[in-house]
Amino acid sequence: MRGGASSIYRSPRRSWRRARGELLTFTLYFFCALLLVLSRIGHNGIDGLRERFVDLSAPLLEAMSIPVIEGRHLIKRARTYADAFAEIDRLRAENDQLKQWEWNAKLLERKNAHLRALLNAVDEPALNFVTGSVIADARGPFLRSALINLGRDNGVRVGYAVIDGNGLVGHTIDAGSSVARVLLLNDLNSHIPVLVGPAGVRAMASGDNSAELRLDFLPDGTSLYEGDEVYTSGSDGVLPRGLRVGTVTGTPGAFRVRPYADLRALDAVSVLFFDTPELVNSDPVAGPIDGPLSAAPTSAASTLPQPVQPVSSVNPVGSAVKHAGAEDGSAAGGGEAQADQ
Amino acid sequence: MSPILPALSVLFAVLATAVPWGLPADATFMLPLVVVMMVFCWRLMPDVVLPLTACLLLGLLTDVMSGGPLGFFALMALIAASVGGLLRVAVEPRDLRFLWLIWSALALALGVLGWLLGSLYFLRWIDWWPILFGTLASIALFPVVLRGLVWIRRGRFGPDRSNLFRSSS
Repeated sequence: MRGGASSIYRSPRRSWRRARGELLTFTLYFFCALLLVLSRIGHNGIDGLRERFVDLSAPLLEAMSIPVIEGRHLIKRARTYADAFAEIDRLRAENDQLKQWEWNAKLLERKNAHLRALLNAVDEPALNFVTGSVIADARGPFLRSALINLGRDNGVRVGYAVIDGNGLVGHTIDAGSSVARVLLLNDLNSHIPVLVGPAGVRAMASGDNSAELRLDFLPDGTSLYEGDEVYTSGSDGVLPRGLRVGTVTGTPGAFRVRPYADLRALDAVSVLFFDTPELVNSDPVAGPIDGPLSAAPTSAASTLPQPVQPVSSVNPVGSAVKHAGAEDGSAAGGGEAQADQ
Repeated sequence: MSPILPALSVLFAVLATAVPWGLPADATFMLPLVVVMMVFCWRLMPDVVLPLTACLLLGLLTDVMSGGPLGFFALMALIAASVGGLLRVAVEPRDLRFLWLIWSALALALGVLGWLLGSLYFLRWIDWWPILFGTLASIALFPVVLRGLVWIRRGRFGPDRSNLFRSSS
C-alpha cells in the first residue's frame, strides 16, 4: 500500500520535471533560431554585445595566441634553414634583376619629378597608418576574418583598408576600443573594385571563401594574362586607389586572383587611415575629419605612435601606390603611406 | 571530478578555435566541430554535469569567436548535447566503435544541416567542401578527443580501454 501510494505521489512530480526539461530544451532551441534571425537582419544590440564581448576577451586571446605565433615562426625559420642554399641562389638571381629595376626606377623617378614640376602638380596627401598584429583567427566556415589588436583607441574605424607587407588583406568591419575585426579578401561578403593588368581593366574581385578571389564584371572581350597585376581602383569610395591585391590566374572565362598576402597565416598588419565622406557617414564615431580625405582622425592622433620611416613597396603597375606594409616583427608601429587619389 | 571541469575544458577548446593556427581555408569548419564533439562526448558520460544551458552558452561563444552567424554553433552544440544526453539515458554506451559510428552519423547530419542553414542564411549555395572536410576530420579525431576527455574525467587512461565510461567511484 505504502509503495503504491508513493508511486502515485511521485508520478506527477516526475512528469512535471520531465515537462519542465522539455520546455527548457524547446526554449533553448527557439532562442537559437531567434538569434540566427536577429543576426541575419543585423540587429544593432546583437552586434554591440558581440563587439563588447570580443573587446573583453581580447587580452586572453592575445595571450593564448603568443605561443602559437611563436611556434609558427619557429617552423618557418626551420624551413628557411632547410632550404638555405637554394634560397641564397634564388636571392642572388633576384638581386641581379632588382639592380636593373633600381636603375630603371631612379630614371623614372627623376622623369616623374621633372614632369610634375612642369605641370605644377600638387603632392598627393600622405596616409597615416598604424601597425598591429593578428590576435585571433576568427575564420569560421562562413566567415574569413581576423581580430587585430588595434581598435578605436588607436584611431581605427569601420571600413579602413588593412594591408601587410605583401599587399591588401581586407578591411575592418567591426571596431571595439582595443580590437577590430578584419574581413579578409577571400570572404564570401568581400567585394573589392579593382583594376587589372597594364590596361587597368575595371572588375570586381569577390571572395568565395576559397584561397583565391573571383574576378567578376569583366568587360566582354577583355584579354588578360596570367600574372597580370590586380590593384584597388578606389571606385567604391572606401579603399584607397592602387593598393596591391594580387595577380591573375586561371583561364579565360574563369579568371581568378591569387592574393599577394598569405591570408591563412597573417601576423603583423597595418591599418590605413583613409577617410572618405562615405566612410565617415557610415561610421562617424572616430570624430570629425580635417578635410575631404584627412589623415588620422583627430581624436586618435594623440594616441598614435610617432610616424616611422615607411617601408615603400613598389607597385609594378605604374607605381600607383607607395604604401607602407607591415613586415614580420614590425608590430605596433605607425607611419605614413601614399596612395593615388 | 569537479562539476565545472567539463564546461571549463570545452571553454578552453572554444578559445583555442580562435587562435591563429595558420590552417588552410578548407579546415575552418574542423575546430568548431571539435567543440561540438566535446559537448557530445561529455554529455554521453554518466555522472558528468554539463547542462543544456551551458552547452548553448559555449556554442554562442564559438559563434562570437568565429565571427559567424550568432546561434549557428549554439544550435549545433544543442543538437549534439541532446543526442549525447539521450544516448546516456538510453543505452549506456561503453563501446568505442559504437560511439564512433554514432558520432559519424551525427557529424554528417550536422554537416548537412550546417550547409543548408548556412546557404539559407547567406541566401546562396555556400561551398560544401570545407564543411565536408571539417566533418570528416572531426570523425577521424573522435577517438583522440574521447580518450582525452576520459583522461580528464578520471585523471588517467584506464587499464581497460574498452570500458570507457566506468563509474569514477
